Amino acid sequence: MRAQLFQFMQRWKSTAKEAMDHTLLFSKFLCLLHVTNNYLCSPTLVYGPSMLPTLNLTGDVLVVEKMSHLLGIVGPGDVVLVRSPENPRKTITKRIVGMEGDRVTFLVDPSHSDRSHSLVVPKGHVWIQGDNIYASKDSRHFGPIPYGLILGKVFCRVWPPEGFGLLEQQE
Amino acid sequence: MQTLRQLTPFVKDALQQTLRVTKFFCFLHVTNTYICTFAWGMGPSMLPTINLYGNLLLAERISTRLGKVGPGDVVLVRSPENPRQFMTKRVKGGEGDSVTYLVNPKNSDEEKTVTVPQGHVWIEGDNKYNTKDSRKFGPVPYALLQGRVFCVLWPPEDFKSIGKDFQ
Repeated sequence: MRAQLFQFMQRWKSTAKEAMDHTLLFSKFLCLLHVTNNYLCSPTLVYGPSMLPTLNLTGDVLVVEKMSHLLGIVGPGDVVLVRSPENPRKTITKRIVGMEGDRVTFLVDPSHSDRSHSLVVPKGHVWIQGDNIYASKDSRHFGPIPYGLILGKVFCRVWPPEGFGLLEQQE
Repeated sequence: MQTLRQLTPFVKDALQQTLRVTKFFCFLHVTNTYICTFAWGMGPSMLPTINLYGNLLLAERISTRLGKVGPGDVVLVRSPENPRQFMTKRVKGGEGDSVTYLVNPKNSDEEKTVTVPQGHVWIEGDNKYNTKDSRKFGPVPYALLQGRVFCVLWPPEDFKSIGKDFQ
């Protein structure tokens, strides 16, 4: 009886050790994935009409690099991934139109009127707009956003295959 | 050629050690980003909770990620005026809340009431006479919150836990 119990415990110990080793390997892999995703680059699926014609309506997979915004070298004309100021769980993709200190002039509501407004971007903030100004909720609605909300700069598109490559620049 | 072959076990050993150190730093970094982190808080804006010359604080990252940070909590925030700077302030109102604050308490009793917009929080320093907070730069987006401070570690005479405080 005691011998049987002892054998059972021995087997359990080796299985537990194996499970532990696998868990450790898996967590090491996740660690590496996390560091790459947050500090190097990561793929992201984006969709919606606000960045037409640059990005598709039904979805594009973009490679977003995370180094430029940490080094402070993003600027006007860059397409960036930003955490939404209206919903912290949502990520939006827009183009930077102005950095702090720049004066931006924009059409307030282009579908209905020609009225334009102009302001200076405050310190520590950026002004973002979608390429499709008729169907984009951006800084024209929620104002300039703090630079700290920028998550990364879009580097290139990898899916769909027809759209593979760098995105078009726009000034 | 001979020296190269002699060096190989040393190079291999060095690589192994580097790999081990890198794995340890990865683990440390992930804990720092997802579980809890240290922060050094100093300045007059959070007196008497955090002292002027500096306190070592412990902040946890889980509440902010789960959206459970609310009025009364002391939080670590990325400054909306300088993205490389972090501040420690207390949350006075979440989205939808109506916040009443003293505009300039040193000189007048004038009060203003504002409704915090969706996705934002209103932060204020405990020392309302000497703090740069939402009364100056407005409500900040929730996504700028980096962690919830829950205790002071250093210096030892200041050791205490920081809880919800509704003033």
